[in-house]
Amino acid sequence: MRIRGEAVALLGLAGAGLTFWLGMTWAPSVSIDAFKAPEAQRIFYWHVPSAWAAMLAFGMLFIGSIFWFFKRSEWAWRLHVASSEAGLATGLMCVWSGCIWGAAEWGVPWDWTDIRLNTFAMLTLLSLYLVLGRRSQPDGVETRDTFAAFGMYGFVLVPFTYIATRLWQIRHPGPVVATSEGSLNSDMGTVLLIGAISFTVLIIGHVMAGMRLTKLELRLEDLQTRYEEESR
Amino acid sequence: MGIIELSKVTVRRGRSQVLDGWSVSIDSGEVVCLSGENGCGKSTVIETAAGLVSMEKGSSEISGQLIRDSEGRRGRTKFGLCLQDDCIMGDELVGERILDAAGCDFDVSSLLKTWGLEHRIHDRVAMLSGGQRRRVAILSGLVPAMVSSEPVAILLDEPDSGLDEDSVEKLAQTIRDLAAGGHAIIVASHNSKIVESADRVIEFPFTETKGDPVKGKFSLLERGVERKANIGHRLNLRTLSGLANNGIAGLLTLGAMLAMLNPEQLEGRTLTAFILAPALTAGLCGNSIHRLTLENRAYAWWNTISAIPPNALFHSLITCGAITVLASTVTGDFDVKLIAAGAVLGACTEAIVGLLSHATLRLSRPNAVMVRLLTPILILPWALVVDTLSV
Repeated sequence: MRIRGEAVALLGLAGAGLTFWLGMTWAPSVSIDAFKAPEAQRIFYWHVPSAWAAMLAFGMLFIGSIFWFFKRSEWAWRLHVASSEAGLATGLMCVWSGCIWGAAEWGVPWDWTDIRLNTFAMLTLLSLYLVLGRRSQPDGVETRDTFAAFGMYGFVLVPFTYIATRLWQIRHPGPVVATSEGSLNSDMGTVLLIGAISFTVLIIGHVMAGMRLTKLELRLEDLQTRYEEESR
Repeated sequence: MGIIELSKVTVRRGRSQVLDGWSVSIDSGEVVCLSGENGCGKSTVIETAAGLVSMEKGSSEISGQLIRDSEGRRGRTKFGLCLQDDCIMGDELVGERILDAAGCDFDVSSLLKTWGLEHRIHDRVAMLSGGQRRRVAILSGLVPAMVSSEPVAILLDEPDSGLDEDSVEKLAQTIRDLAAGGHAIIVASHNSKIVESADRVIEFPFTETKGDPVKGKFSLLERGVERKANIGHRLNLRTLSGLANNGIAGLLTLGAMLAMLNPEQLEGRTLTAFILAPALTAGLCGNSIHRLTLENRAYAWWNTISAIPPNALFHSLITCGAITVLASTVTGDFDVKLIAAGAVLGACTEAIVGLLSHATLRLSRPNAVMVRLLTPILILPWALVVDTLSV
């Protein structure tokens, strides 16, 4: 039996919905001493898994870009296309939820001096650039090479984003799981784990569906060209 | 080894493979004409030889210097190039363009006279008719050989398009004269006069016939001193495009902030941000010369001259510095460190935006991609500088 990306994505979406519900209603509240807006902290259960999924998508974007650029693999180009769309979707989920949380917790939705915030937003904008840019160009080796190059160089921001809160913590909090300073309450950890798994399934489904769609689009384009050649 | 050497070149353009392991070698004193129907790959050969097209396999060498190979290695040497597009910015001057192409000073007016352009020597190219502009483009492709006693490669892509009969005849004669001087010429054309001037005709897809052209006579133009192009700075002074684009954006930002804020009440971080914001806005407008090079695909021609895209970085430093001085004067907080920071930040921002735009030039519609989506990251270094300098 062939597993369709759409079905996997729907499963992930259901898990993401469950995470949202558990985070809002079931997960324990945080201490009012630790947060200025403790109730807004519940956005965390959406914010962190979506950031995780976005990072996965950016990783796949890098792999797709590199294999297209150096190996000219068709699957890699399809991976590039699908993962840039997935990265845009999950990146926007993360940035948007972060802005809402930031507005409640810090009093401002954004801080232009925070390196984690800005490099992550940049990655999301890179995905937006790739998605919109690709739609504006006819498909061809020049288009693919240019956007693959942006995908490869853009990946430099991923390690920057990862280490930003460890090296230059300005406003965004540092890591909360698997650190030496203790970990999350177990119920909180459970919800976060469900979220991480659900978003991973969602992103895999999204990329599978996206790759299939791109394949169909390219096939349609080939058929159109062949039709035009034969009708000449 | 030939002056122009394409070795086992495989090139893809769009979704099709145009050349597949194709080789050609053009010796000193030889003229090779590429002929064939539209879209058969003639222009691809010329652009590949000039290093403008990336190749899947193979390499291109001119005068023994590697121009480009499939591994991405690039090199540059002196050669003449005239593409299907004229590749001239409208604000370049006729005489100046020919001198830039030659890379040295020489008696340009007598050359222009033979091509009926002497009276246009000081005119901007934008003021010329289509045919005159084409003649300037052809001359800038031919002149590197005209001023050289050493063999030089000349690459011409449909140079006869838009030319009258007399000009085509003159072009065919000039090609023969240059070949007599030992220069190697590759020309893509359908025109019978140009085809007849070739020693070899390659009919795409690749049947080769020998030609029997009449011999020409080469007369070397006397070279003057070497010439540096500095095209970006010259164009910026002529068009004031840096001031009109970047400068105005900075001034408008300052004006808008003055309408909303009272500078006398600002202090600390807000004051520093107020002073440095106009320079950032000016920089975010990007390299104004880059926009000019998009005209007639001029960037492609300039790319064969230098690896550094045409720019007016020195002028940007002055513009951004001046805007920061103005903002400082308005606030009454005159700090040399801040002014230097404004100038450098603005110029660096402009250079980065310019490079981002430059990276999209291989696309078939470079104007259609929204490269500005990537510029918000540039606020981060600006904000960090504001934070640092306001401590």
